Amino acid sequence: MVSSGTLHVVATEMTVGSFAMAGTAFLLAGLASHGVTRLEAYLKHFDHIAHFALAFGLLAMPLAIFSGIQSSPGDGIDHPLLINKLFLSSASLGLALGVLLARRSRGVAIWEHTMSKRWQMLGGMVASGLILLTASIGGTFSRGESLLDFFHLPYDMVPLMPMWLSLLVIIGAVLNLVAVRRSSNA
Amino acid sequence: MKRWLVMGLAFMLLAVPSLGSANPNGVGDGTFDTQCGGACHGDADMNQTSSTTVTVQGDDVVYEGLLTSITVNLEGIETTTSGLLGVFLLSDLSGTRDTPGDAGWNIISNSEGGNENYVEIKVSPSQDSRNVTWTMRAPAVGTYQLYAAIHHGTEDGSEAPFFGQSEAPLVIEIVEVPENLPRLTSDFDPITQREVGEVTTMMIETTFVSAVSVEWRVAGSDVQTADITALENNRWSFEVPASIQPSLIEWRVHLEGEGPPQTTPWFQLRSEEVAWTIDENVAYLQSLALILVMMAGFVALQYRNDSSISPSNKELAELEGGVE
Repeated sequence: MVSSGTLHVVATEMTVGSFAMAGTAFLLAGLASHGVTRLEAYLKHFDHIAHFALAFGLLAMPLAIFSGIQSSPGDGIDHPLLINKLFLSSASLGLALGVLLARRSRGVAIWEHTMSKRWQMLGGMVASGLILLTASIGGTFSRGESLLDFFHLPYDMVPLMPMWLSLLVIIGAVLNLVAVRRSSNA
Repeated sequence: MKRWLVMGLAFMLLAVPSLGSANPNGVGDGTFDTQCGGACHGDADMNQTSSTTVTVQGDDVVYEGLLTSITVNLEGIETTTSGLLGVFLLSDLSGTRDTPGDAGWNIISNSEGGNENYVEIKVSPSQDSRNVTWTMRAPAVGTYQLYAAIHHGTEDGSEAPFFGQSEAPLVIEIVEVPENLPRLTSDFDPITQREVGEVTTMMIETTFVSAVSVEWRVAGSDVQTADITALENNRWSFEVPASIQPSLIEWRVHLEGEGPPQTTPWFQLRSEEVAWTIDENVAYLQSLALILVMMAGFVALQYRNDSSISPSNKELAELEGGVE
């Protein structure tokens, strides 16, 4: 039977690879939508590649999470790096879902408006960047080094909110989603 | 509906490989019968025999209620690439109610810093042999047997779990304590764990003792003698120096009095880094909050610009199949 460690490597490669491709395609789509020479004609392709790669990365992410928990030593998440991985991947997951929802509700017209195309490009790129940062922490955790070490990022610091604040944020976010949904249906 | 069914099935398939694994990261130290130590490994129908040689070593004769050391020696160690190996100290091999505690022994400490009969150790790839030591208080007068067992996975996790046990038990005769035997008091409970950088003051209480000396050693180095301070009412104290990294210090006491001189077993004092802990529920809740707030924030941000898209652009989007 394939060990969870091996599965985790496969799953993270799928996730990180997809997000990296999505990030690049979002950048190219953003440049194309801004009228950069010779890229305008490919806007539709970049748009499809970016969103499809992002969606595929999201599908591969649960396997990466499950296998990662199984292959981590000890019980539960008992290391600051693992907590930061959890937070970064959650932020990326939420942002990627937001990007895909926005694209689904507005279609390719999202690349027509100045602000919406900038936000869409930034949203996709930041979601990809957060996943790459998560992968970097994974390298630091398992091998003690990663490609982004020269940034000297404070991976050991855990920005933990109290439970009441998390609950408040969840309620606020859900209300916001409901309000947007109602407004768009109106 | 069909879409959600497919999504659900996909999620289940993704989760199956994780759920199908046994316990590749172990189950942690604990007080376990052989049958319960890490799920199926104690079941003879589901495992193969480990090539590791397991022997139990200790004194043949021990005084009732006094402390003794039992060492499990492992030779020709075979285990997984992670080096994880589960070691049991047992009172029999029936598989149930077979912990030393079930036979009346009281485990004071083990060399891994706990006081359980089952420990999980990490064996480095170059390591061929290893000892695990338990310090226990002897039960009532009688003859007792102690066994040891191990279990582990395979290098690539492709085969059945492996189980090994000591060929022969260690037979120990528990005898009554002579009237004037110099000894530690029956309720002596040594400190077994401390944090790195912390000096430890050990207090010991004795009976029928006129002089005490203490020896300590770090694994693999020379034996040192500690300065001991005599307190009132047969109490003594000494200091164990701080360690600068996680390590194991062993110490023992030589006791002199009217009766024959006695030496206690080696006691283990493990120093660990300060454990990093977190309330996992708070972390998971914050994680959910992050998912929702990032999604809601981005959707709201893009919705704000939605009204500025002209009808002609929306029509364009519909024509290109983007809007459903």
